[in-house]
Amino acid sequence: MVRLTEKGRFGKYGGAYVSEILMQALLELEESFERIYPKNEFQEEFHRLLRDYGGRPTPLYHARNLSRLLGFKVYLKREDLLCGGSHKLNNALGQALLAKKMGKKRLITETAAGQHGLATVMAGNLCGLETEIFMGIKDMERQAQNVKKMILLGAKIKPVKTGAGVLKDAVSETLREWAECSRTTYYLMGSTVGPHPFPTIVATFQRVIGEEIRQQILEKEGRLPNAIVACGSGGSNALGAFKSFLEEPTVRLYFVEGGGESLTAENSAAAFRLGRPGVLHGSLMQIMQDEFGQIRPSKTRAAGLNYPGRGPEISYLCEIGRVKPCYAFDHEVFEAVRTMGRAEGLIPALETAHAIAYVLKNRGEFRPDDIVVINYSGGGDKDIETILRHFYGS
Amino acid sequence: MDLEGKFRELMERKEGAHMAHVYYGDPREEFSLRLIRILAESGADIIELGIPFSDPIADGPTFQAACERALKGGITPTKCIDGIRRLREEGLETPIVVTTYFNIPYAMGFEKFLEEIKNAGAHGILVPDLPAEEAKPFLKLARRMGLHLILHVAPTTSQERLKGILAEASGFVYLISIEGVTGARFKGRKECSAMELIKAVKAQSPIPIMVGFGISVREHAEAMVSAGADGVVVGSAYARIYQKSLDNPYRKIDEIARLAREIKLGCIEGYRNRC
Repeated sequence: MVRLTEKGRFGKYGGAYVSEILMQALLELEESFERIYPKNEFQEEFHRLLRDYGGRPTPLYHARNLSRLLGFKVYLKREDLLCGGSHKLNNALGQALLAKKMGKKRLITETAAGQHGLATVMAGNLCGLETEIFMGIKDMERQAQNVKKMILLGAKIKPVKTGAGVLKDAVSETLREWAECSRTTYYLMGSTVGPHPFPTIVATFQRVIGEEIRQQILEKEGRLPNAIVACGSGGSNALGAFKSFLEEPTVRLYFVEGGGESLTAENSAAAFRLGRPGVLHGSLMQIMQDEFGQIRPSKTRAAGLNYPGRGPEISYLCEIGRVKPCYAFDHEVFEAVRTMGRAEGLIPALETAHAIAYVLKNRGEFRPDDIVVINYSGGGDKDIETILRHFYGS
Repeated sequence: MDLEGKFRELMERKEGAHMAHVYYGDPREEFSLRLIRILAESGADIIELGIPFSDPIADGPTFQAACERALKGGITPTKCIDGIRRLREEGLETPIVVTTYFNIPYAMGFEKFLEEIKNAGAHGILVPDLPAEEAKPFLKLARRMGLHLILHVAPTTSQERLKGILAEASGFVYLISIEGVTGARFKGRKECSAMELIKAVKAQSPIPIMVGFGISVREHAEAMVSAGADGVVVGSAYARIYQKSLDNPYRKIDEIARLAREIKLGCIEGYRNRC
């Protein structure tokens, strides 16, 4: 009985704080993942799909114009070129394959920006699994295009009206649904959050990002980068990029969260600034909460960063000082979108633009001979209406 | 009276136990205090006093709404604990078990939280998102302080884990009757899994079994107790009644008292049907 607890810990963070109903499903998942993941057959199928369907490896692009603007060398890890438009497919493919091997019939998940929902229905269709996606009604409104895409691909969408109708509420609702059907249904967790073993599984499937960065930068530059910058809330794209460099003390790691409008309660999603350790959705992690432990709603224009918790592993890495927690404000993020567009002709997702905004604003932190890799986690197609409205009105 | 005493008394009287679950502060504190007293007078043997939480992941729509209303009304864990104190001062002798999601006691410090509820007059604590593995560090602490940390079993619990949980269980074991969330269910209940689980627990341990989730009418109570459960937990079914009259929930007190008496009758009949 102790095994689960010890394994799922990152320092004090992590664990599996769930209803007794779900414990068996989590133990089954842990056992299945450990048994199935290392098998050659699984690895071959996973990597074949990542390559031929997903389009991996994604390029590591030397952004010359942006580099000139900043005064040091910047590379973009182009996860926006992964099929579906973001890094989310890495994890969705891995877990959908796992679900199929476990004999599950149906996938459920939640989504905020819609990228994870989209990746899940893509992977579900590949594996012949039904897909049902819980999405807050506020997020459905601001990510309407992705909702339509998911419906087109055959996903069933469950609008979540409780709370503020955002990601936090959708996760709660998916956990409730899972309690009813955990014997036949797989909860395809979208980020490095939730009870053990989800944070470990998701980070494992996203690790490919950093493995490629390492190989590509060595090929191009003959040395490791000085810094890697990634946006995040739960932490999946960041951990994916960071994992291969955790033991490299010369590589600085920056985690950029959603600052929102300002660093005040109710106006931000910067949980490392405004939160403290607590338990939400099955895991002990850094969380925005009031003095009594009631969870505070987060706020940012980037739906995918709008979560009051930071996953247990990223919480731990920030606590021990290995990763530097940073933030970018909404207005800086929109400016970063414009700068990136003018410099490189690329429109980043609002989430991804947080990483760019941080580097633009804090360029003084980097030296002229530094090599900085920004994990370009997703493209801005899904946000185009919001972005155009911001700059040109409705 | 403590939990052991209560179960002993009920056994002598040949009755199943009725635990009534109330989210404190919904819609207002004064109403909850009155509701608890009425429930205790109408056949509730144990009060499960819920501290509202912002994200109650084990609760269905009725209790989610209850939490939201109570929090909007300004309820805090401190006020809930004060509520226990007030109930005791007013002479309520019914055992009280505090239900709270883990982040609430974690935020206060688990030990301090236990101390506070113990001093206020509670006998146990039940944490829906604290499975036996995570409860481990706190079981000894609770025991030392003279409080029962109630553990759960569910239809999905494996034989191996069931054994481990029963070895650590204290006060009673909360048997989750269905896979899902809390909330009244009137039709289509699959009771077989609960019945089998009741038998499995009975075969391994003398600890009292309280069956919860979805129990909402007399027949459910009767069926569970006659299958060997020591009692049932009813919560959302009460909240559903006063939720229909939130501007004046007191108007529904009689209807709630009637249901409480019905449930208690089910607990009594169930016990008598056993032999």
